[in-house]
Amino acid sequence: MKKLVAILMAVLMLVGIVACTAKPADKPADKPADKPAETVAQGKVFNIYAWNEEFKGFFEKYYTVPEGVTVNWIITPSDNGAYQQKLDEALLNQANAADDDKIDLFLAEADYIGKYVDSDYTMDISKIGFTNADTMYEYTIKAASDVNGVCKGVSFQCCPAAVIYRKSIAKDVLGTDDPAEVQAAIDSWEKFDDVAAKAKEKGYYMTASFAETFRAFSNNCTKPWVDANDNLQFDPQITKWIEQTDKYIKNGYTLTAGVWDAEKTNEMFKTGKTMCFFGPAWYYNFCMTNAMDPENGCVGDWCIVKGPQAYFWGGTWLLAATGSDNTEMLKDIFETFTKNEDVCTKLVQNEGQYPNNTKVAEKFASDPAWGNTMILDGQNDTAIFAELAKDIKWENHTNYDQILNEGLQNKLQEYFNGSVDYDTAMNNFYQLIKETYPNIKLPA
Amino acid sequence: MEKIQTGTGKKLKSVSYAKWGYIFIAPFFIAYIIFTLVPQLLTIYNSFFETYRIGLQQVGPNFVGLDNYKALFQPDANGTILILKYALNTMILWIAGAVPQFVIAMLLALFFTSTRLNIRGQGFFKTVIYMPNLIMAAAFSMLFYTLFSRVGPIQALLEQWGVIDESFDFFAIRVSVRSMIALMNFLMWFGNTTIVLMAGIMGIDQSLFESATIDGANSVQVFFKVTMPLLMPIFVYCLITAMIGGIQMFDVPQVLSKGDGVPNGTTRTLVMYLNGYLKTRNLGMSGAISVIMFIITGGLGAIVYKMLSAPYKDQNRKHRMRKGNVL
Repeated sequence: MKKLVAILMAVLMLVGIVACTAKPADKPADKPADKPAETVAQGKVFNIYAWNEEFKGFFEKYYTVPEGVTVNWIITPSDNGAYQQKLDEALLNQANAADDDKIDLFLAEADYIGKYVDSDYTMDISKIGFTNADTMYEYTIKAASDVNGVCKGVSFQCCPAAVIYRKSIAKDVLGTDDPAEVQAAIDSWEKFDDVAAKAKEKGYYMTASFAETFRAFSNNCTKPWVDANDNLQFDPQITKWIEQTDKYIKNGYTLTAGVWDAEKTNEMFKTGKTMCFFGPAWYYNFCMTNAMDPENGCVGDWCIVKGPQAYFWGGTWLLAATGSDNTEMLKDIFETFTKNEDVCTKLVQNEGQYPNNTKVAEKFASDPAWGNTMILDGQNDTAIFAELAKDIKWENHTNYDQILNEGLQNKLQEYFNGSVDYDTAMNNFYQLIKETYPNIKLPA
Repeated sequence: MEKIQTGTGKKLKSVSYAKWGYIFIAPFFIAYIIFTLVPQLLTIYNSFFETYRIGLQQVGPNFVGLDNYKALFQPDANGTILILKYALNTMILWIAGAVPQFVIAMLLALFFTSTRLNIRGQGFFKTVIYMPNLIMAAAFSMLFYTLFSRVGPIQALLEQWGVIDESFDFFAIRVSVRSMIALMNFLMWFGNTTIVLMAGIMGIDQSLFESATIDGANSVQVFFKVTMPLLMPIFVYCLITAMIGGIQMFDVPQVLSKGDGVPNGTTRTLVMYLNGYLKTRNLGMSGAISVIMFIITGGLGAIVYKMLSAPYKDQNRKHRMRKGNVL
């Protein structure tokens, strides 16, 4: 009897160990490899990984799915890195997944696109027959290209960002709501501060979130967050943002809410007391729905100007996953959202987007009859964006940007709302880095 | 077990059915070994390695001995040893929820089982107090977050009454965030504890209560002299399971503080700390935290068990002795 039990236990142990170790062992052997497009038969299921419904909306409206193909959306919110965790697991398992379960297309944001582009899990889109057009913005191609310049995907939007202000509040504070005059009043950070002081006197806030101006600074950095030797470095732009925010909080020029908090977006209602918001074209749909509220909103009370410093913010890229069995459809989707002028036109007209197509953008920019009435007062915002888009450069980005940008904001928020002192907040930020990327060397 | 020679043609003296016992319990052990024991051993194994991901690129695994453990106990720039801070947070959050949980549960269990009170509609009440446990912890937590947020109804109401001003933030104050977590844990678990304790009390022979009452004991005396000693095994079981659950507290504070343990990490629990490392699949560090938690859990479990069940064990031994040590 004892022997039997012993044998049983031994077998169970073995089963357990084999069951748990077999998979990882054979993983490195079959790394995803590029296959020429012609030899691949097209699959029946098209899997798209995304973190929200934004692109899904455009996709369903403007793209006709080939007959017989089912599109599968796997949507995981990006809170706390959940989207990337889910995506990473799926990508690492891509080689072993059944054809219909393989990821075909996935979405990535500016803050972490490099992580995927620089890996073997995304494929060269020239191999599926897609060539980048002259009409696409250079920086969108650069962002989707790996270190050797091999392009792995496209963006359906271009994201120059600007200052969106409340006309009625500007009129009260500056005595004018004319975009040219408002721009003249806030065309440097010093002047912006002066206006903030005036706004405060009149009982308004200049911005509604402590991090509202963050991207205007962080996307103008002259050095990356982490250098070649893994040293963390603070760009003067980041330091400037911290100084500015500190001043704004202390003087009561801004609210302490986060960029995505309801406390901030509530300021966009008619009753809001905030003059300026910082954002690109996607900001309208994504953050300003309160302003478009039929009852409490204030459509038409908004204008857009360049503001103190040109910058861009975010953007969604569509990346081709290695191992996709729907390469023709991939190419087709890329073409629809970048080269198809009809679709790009609709993205501007109906969705308030700024397209990744210079030809379409210029058409709108130079059209005197075109104006944004979805939220603005009929101002031609495309013309403003088109001017700003020319200057966007893709540089100084690292794969750590997301954690560092968001982490810095989150940890400093506790300082700005008064629950910790500055040193503790910075210490918490360093601790977060240590926890997430032990390889980054922190300043002593 | 007496071994019986078989296969030699001799007549069997008796038949052993023991192998059927082993066969019947085998499924559990198979599942346990595959899904619990092996991962546990792998966790311990991984805790000696440096292994994490930068983006999609794997670093390690490199054997580093006890470095992960050393790193965990390294004080930070302010001289705080974070794992101790988080362990303390976990303990405070658990105790703040568990004390009312056990007191209220015990009272309710006594009321429901009392033959003198004979409460009507017990089924209804039991269902209602158990209800909060059916809600997903994350959803419950989200509800609290929405209620107490800067733009939530409670803030608006208190502002209207002039109790607080606009800049007040429930989530910037340590006591308020901790209280919310304790309250949620209490609400979610007191029903469950009540039901288990009731089962324990109902397992006690009614005649003991009756004779105590006839002997003139009041209800307090009955509780401390009769109910509590006989309930001890169940009570210890409840306490230990609640404690293990408490050490592993995660979802409520995670959702309520958006994963940050606001303010200043004072509501960050051990598992939230562990989860932070898993963002980059740092199996080494998270493994080390798991091992430490395992040790803490085992240690505390042993202490509680020893402390609370000692009198009960003594009684048992005396009982056995009286019977002449024959089982």
